[in-house]
This record gives sequence, C-alpha cells and structure tokens, in this order.
Amino acid sequence: MIRQAFGKIGQTLVVLFIVSFASFGLLKLAPGDPIQIMLGSEYSPEAYAALSAELGLDQPFWTQYAQWATNFVRGDWGTSYVARTDIFTYGFTEALPVTLTLASFSLAFAILIGVPLGVLSAVKKDTIFDAGAAVFALTGTAFPSFLLGILLIWFFGVQLGWFPVMGYVSPWQDFWGGIYHMILPALTLSTYFIAMITRLTRATLVEVLAQPYIAAARARGEPGWRVIWVHGVRNIALPLVTILGLQLGTLLQGTVLTETVFNLPGIGQMLTSAVLGREYGVVQAGVMMTALLFITVNLLVDLSYPFLDPRLRDRK
Amino acid sequence: MTQIDHKKILAERLSARLGRRAVLKGLGAGIVAATAGGSFPAVARAQQSGHLKIASVKVIDTLDPHFTGFLSAIQIINNIHNGLLKITYDGDMVQFEPDLAETWDLEDERTHVFKLREGVMFHDGTPCDAEAVKFSLLRVKEGEPASPHAWKLALLDEIEVVDPLTVKLKFSQPYAFLPVALNGSTGRAGTIVSPAAVQKYGADYGRNPVGTGPFKFVSWRENDAIELEANPDYFEPGLPKLEKVTFVLMREASTALAALMSGQIHGMTDCPMQLVDQVDAFPNATLYGEIEGNYTFVGMNCKRAPFDDINLRRAVAWALDRDTLVKQAYFGRAQQAYTPISPPMTGYFDPDIATSGRGQWFDLEKAKEFRAKAANQGEIEVTYMMAERGPVGTRVAQTVAPMLAQIGIKANLELIEPASWVQRRNAGDFDLYDFEWVADLDPEETLYPEWKSDGSWNFGGWNQPEFDKLCEQASVELDIPTRASLYHQAEDLLMDEAPCAMMVHMPIYKVLSNEVKGFNYIPADLVNLHTVSLG
Repeated sequence: MIRQAFGKIGQTLVVLFIVSFASFGLLKLAPGDPIQIMLGSEYSPEAYAALSAELGLDQPFWTQYAQWATNFVRGDWGTSYVARTDIFTYGFTEALPVTLTLASFSLAFAILIGVPLGVLSAVKKDTIFDAGAAVFALTGTAFPSFLLGILLIWFFGVQLGWFPVMGYVSPWQDFWGGIYHMILPALTLSTYFIAMITRLTRATLVEVLAQPYIAAARARGEPGWRVIWVHGVRNIALPLVTILGLQLGTLLQGTVLTETVFNLPGIGQMLTSAVLGREYGVVQAGVMMTALLFITVNLLVDLSYPFLDPRLRDRK
Repeated sequence: MTQIDHKKILAERLSARLGRRAVLKGLGAGIVAATAGGSFPAVARAQQSGHLKIASVKVIDTLDPHFTGFLSAIQIINNIHNGLLKITYDGDMVQFEPDLAETWDLEDERTHVFKLREGVMFHDGTPCDAEAVKFSLLRVKEGEPASPHAWKLALLDEIEVVDPLTVKLKFSQPYAFLPVALNGSTGRAGTIVSPAAVQKYGADYGRNPVGTGPFKFVSWRENDAIELEANPDYFEPGLPKLEKVTFVLMREASTALAALMSGQIHGMTDCPMQLVDQVDAFPNATLYGEIEGNYTFVGMNCKRAPFDDINLRRAVAWALDRDTLVKQAYFGRAQQAYTPISPPMTGYFDPDIATSGRGQWFDLEKAKEFRAKAANQGEIEVTYMMAERGPVGTRVAQTVAPMLAQIGIKANLELIEPASWVQRRNAGDFDLYDFEWVADLDPEETLYPEWKSDGSWNFGGWNQPEFDKLCEQASVELDIPTRASLYHQAEDLLMDEAPCAMMVHMPIYKVLSNEVKGFNYIPADLVNLHTVSLG
C-alpha cells in the first residue's frame, strides 16, 4: 500500500514536470511579446530593456524555466506583470474557488438530473419517454455550451428575468445568493454531462435489469421502486465515477467558455486573459492548478473503487 | 512692434468650437466661468446615495494615469483623479477648462502660471499643493521608469513653486498642444497623483491609485470588478451624488448587454457597434455617442516591395469604396474620412472637406490610372494581416480585399492572434494591416506620432522630412488659423504620398439605463460620474 502510494506520488511529479515544461515551452514558442503588450507602443528601447531585465525575460529559456520551477516548488509563484498581485493568492484564493464552485454545481446538476432521466428511459424502455430522453441527450451532447449559455441568458435572464445573467457570489458568504447566481452557468456547463449520464445510466440499467438476480428480487415480492433504485441503480456508481473522472478535462475546458459568457472570475478567465497578455507566470499557475486538480480527482476515483464495488475490495 | 495678446490666445486655446455654432466664446469667458465654482473654499458636504454598476468591456491595464495607454482605463482614472485642466462639453463646444487650477494665466507665450484651488486634499489626507503638482509633472517628464507620456512635457524647461498654491511652468517654446497635455483626461500628463501614495506603493500605484477626484478607489478584483466609493471631501460643492460605483469587468459585450436589459447593471462604458441596433430597440436605456477624435486606415509597408512604390499606394488609396466600408465593416454607423483630422477638432477640421477636393476618396478610374503607373504591372500578391481586435475585428480586411482585387492586387488575408499581430506590426513584418487611431482632441497627436519619420507609431516606415517640418512648425504656432493651415498642408502631403488609405471616423458609444440621471457626455470617450445619480 505504501509502495503504491509512493508510486502514485512519483507518477504525479513526473506528470507535473512534463505539463509545466510543455506549457512553458509552448508559450515561449508562441509569437507575441509580453513587454510590447504592457508598454503599448509609445516606449523607448531603454524602457523595454529595463522592464525585460526587471521581469527576468532577458535571460535564456533554460534559466527562466529553472528559476520559475524552483520558485514554484517553494510556493513563490511570482507576481503577475499586469495585475501586480501575488499569483498564488490570486489563483488559489480568488480564481480557484469560483471554478470549483462552478464545477461542483455542474456535476451535482448532471447527476441529479441525468441519473433519474436515465432510470426513466431504462424502465420505460422503447416508449415515448425513452425516445424523448434520447432526443434530449443527443441535443445536449451536440449543443455548443457557449450558444446554450447565451440562449439561457436571453430566455431566463432577459425575457423572464428569473435569474441573474452574470457575476459570482460566493456560496460560502451568501449561500442562497451563491446558488442563485450559479444556476444558469451550471446548467449551461452541465447539459453535456446530463446527456452523457442519461445515456450511461440507461445503458447500464437496461443490462442490469435483465439479470437473473433482478428477476429473483421481483420474485421475492420486493416493491418495484426498491428493485430499481436499490438493486439496479447501485450498479451505475462504478461506470459513472469512472466516466466523470475521465471527463473532468472536458468539464474544466467547458468552464473556460462558461466563465467568459457568464463573467465568472475563475481559472478559465484567468487563463484566457493571461494567454492573450502573455502573462507567463499566470498561465503556468493556471495550468499547474488544473493539472493538480485533474490528478487529484483521478486519484480519488481510483481510491473510491473498493467502496463502490465490493468485488474490488480484497484484491491485492 | 506687434504686441502679443496672451489673454486672447489663452481664451482661444480654452475653447475649441465644436458643431455648427459659429460664435466664439467671449474673451476670457472660459476662465471666468471655470473659476466661479472654485472661489468657495468651504466645501458643501454632499448627501451621497445610490450604487451604480457599469460594465467595462475593454482592457484595463492600470489605474496609474501616467502609465496607462488605454482610454478604458482613463474612464475610471478620471473619476479618481483630477488634472490641472479638464475637458468639458455642452453639446456644441469642447473646452479645456481649469480643474485643480483655479486660474491659468500666461506671463508670456512660454510661461504659464497656475493658481491652485485652496484646501484640496488627496484621498490619503495629504494636501494637493504646488509641490504635489511639481512632483506629478516631473514623474511624467523624467520619472523612472519612463512614462509613455513623457514626450508631452518634453518642452517643459522649468517648474517653479512660487508659493504653496502657485506653480509656474516655463517652456522652451510656445506649446500649442499644452491644453491637451495638461488635462487629466485624454492627455494624462497633467493628472495629479498623491506624492505620498506614489512613494508608498511605487510600481504598485496603478493598483492603489490616490487622487483628488470625486471617487476613492476601494478595490480591484481581477476579471471581476473595480469598486469606488464617494469622496465626501470632494472640492466641487454638492458632488459626487453617488455613494458607490462598481465597474464590472466583463469580456463578453453581449452578456453585458443582457445584464443591462435584465436590470443587473446600469450601463456599459463602451457599447460595441454591432450591439447598437439592439440598444436602440431597447426602451429602458439611452445611447450616448457621436463621432469622436479618431480615424481608421489601411496601413501599407513603405519599407519593402510592393508598397515602397508610391503609385501602387496611391492606387490603393483611391480604390477603397468608403461608402461600402461604412456599411459593411462599420455597421453603417461611421462617417467617411478624407483626412485624419476628425470632426470634434474644430478650428482644425474642415467642415467642407467632402467638397474641398482635399484628401482621399473612392475613384476607381483614378486608382486604375495610378495602378498603370506602378512599377510592377503583373498581378501582385500581398499579405494583409488581421486579428480579432479593434472595434470591428476582421470585417475591414474582408471588405477591403475584393476592392484591391479590382486593381490587380491579391490580398492574402492572414488571421493571427492579437499578441502576434502587435509583435509583427511593431517589427514592420506586414504588407497591409488596418488600425484605428484614437486621438487626443488636437491635430498634433492625430498626425505627428503616427506619421513622423521614425516615429514610434510609424510602423509602415514612411519618411518625409517636409511633413515633419510642417508638424514641428505647427506645434509652436499659437494662432489657430495659421496652425490649422500648416496641419492641412501636412495632411495633404500625407494623403498624396499615401502610406495609408483613410477609411472612416468612428462614433464611440456608451449606454446607460434610464434610471441614470445627470450624465454629461464628452466626446473624448470619458465616463465622468461625479454628476450622475440614480433616480
């Protein structure tokens, strides 16, 4: 077990190194000069040289990377050129909570809506409900989230005036306000996942419901809801968690567009503005946080298997 | 011997006529009017109420007035700081009036004396006196790191603190651009910042601005919002009226519009042209906007083939159908430009420009004549670099390309990302590009930095000593008609040699909900909120 844990940590470190190096290198290879962007065009060569020395951008690539990596490990993530704020504080305490809130609300929506819809279409297989859910799932998967976001904004925000169309309110400070502001963005981001989970639930459940032990349960006279929700749906947990772990990347990608459309100050917006402004330090921080999040979640998924499936518990 | 009437010159400098009204302001009236408010040092405490939320959809780089390059930042800075002078507008006239200064006198044509308002304090409680003014001007002129606006004070020789409320500025030459340079709005150089705050925050001043303005800076949350609160000790009696102001930082203008329509915000500091029709159709908001001080153009690289050929450049200049450009690229909202000097620069803008025969316009026959004189008579392939930037993105390039095809120029449209676009433009690595020059309300800044030989904005590398000479003469000429005629000669030269093909002058729009009362529109892209209240 300990060896396994060390192995995992080692793997994680290697992945983080590769990710950080690749993003650092790509950003440097991309044309565009942060100093030109910062100084506008009315600058003198002296001002350019001074700023470039101040930011360490006149150093060779390897020195810059080594410098960045050493400081990063020490927890000194640097200062953003433009915002002049501490990147660690900005990333961890301001941007990350927003993205985590959005992602968890979206996941919650996806499960709370997707699973019952999937159960409904499995139980009412080949009926109008099933067909309806299939159409919904297809539309949901095919619909680009930014377009859906704008449609939701116009319908629920502008026409009906039910929900705010933008902005972030921390649910830790104002619980209901936070939820209220998060409904439209979370719905936008989760549509794809609702659709996916609906299909997954249906497929799994249809198979499970054909198993002999379900017939046995019915024969024992257990009520229909118990057969489905206790004996049937339980089997969805494993594929569901696996798929969600794998699709976390898609979810995080989706937050970039969703945050822009709904003006949420999260990691997505932080990354977009940093890439456009060639804010190397901020991009690195954003990429590393995303990578860490991805690795952590997949680790949790691995660890959760024994809890979800008793058959995996005693395996060495 | 001719006696120079400095008072008269000053009065003329203080009022630039705008629009159709032909009456010039009476002698010195501008000064009298402007000082009337300031002669009551006892500040009447205002009752502030209301929290205005307004979306800002453009880049805000810093709130340090001496370092920003963005008018979107000035919009906020100008609510926190004051300049020695300010721009006012009554619907007809753009004027440069004293702001922190109570009076402004000319001792001779090179020496300006400013008497400051008494008792004005910065938000940190330190006094705004002659020393503070000197500090700010020196910070722009020779501070470290260098301010991008330093050139505006290059002619300033000496700053003398006569007494705590009087400061005397001596220039090496008469300086016609001065009213623009010294105002706190588009000129930036004359914005007065708290010396104590600059010493305290250093390079971080732009995130912790401390001025004398109607609103105090509270916070700036990245990609989220900039918050201001009323300065109860503001020197203009009864102002500001609002208690709090939030500039909501948004990237997506259509979301900002949706937020406005659903009542979540009260306005937008900038309304992109493509959304104007929707705003017009929305009954609960008012659109503010006129043609402002700007021009757009297609720039050509004079340093390399094929556009080192003057006849080919002229062919391009005459081949652009400006009418179509206005309709296709600018949503029918702009006005054709014949030369760079734009309508709000009255005294310099020629109201009869369309019939004067000056400048550039569409004439395909003429374009073909020039094309026939060009050195290269085969089909010419050029690179037109474009990016999703500026007010209309890639629409200009897409509209221009077929027009160039008509004169045998095949423009390969190359879509690149804005940061690389800037880098390639600055390096002169292009054949064609389009750009919008947003100018301070004076012809100097309209023409000179952009087109002077080796100028920092002259990316096409056009080189014409005669043009430089005319602009230099004009910059020290205080008589408006003489100065205007010098700039017109310079413009004519520029238009004839055509390092650029003029396109349009653009309107700049803002939108405010009808709840917002008392907003004074100024055609310099300003959003001054001190007179605004929520009804």
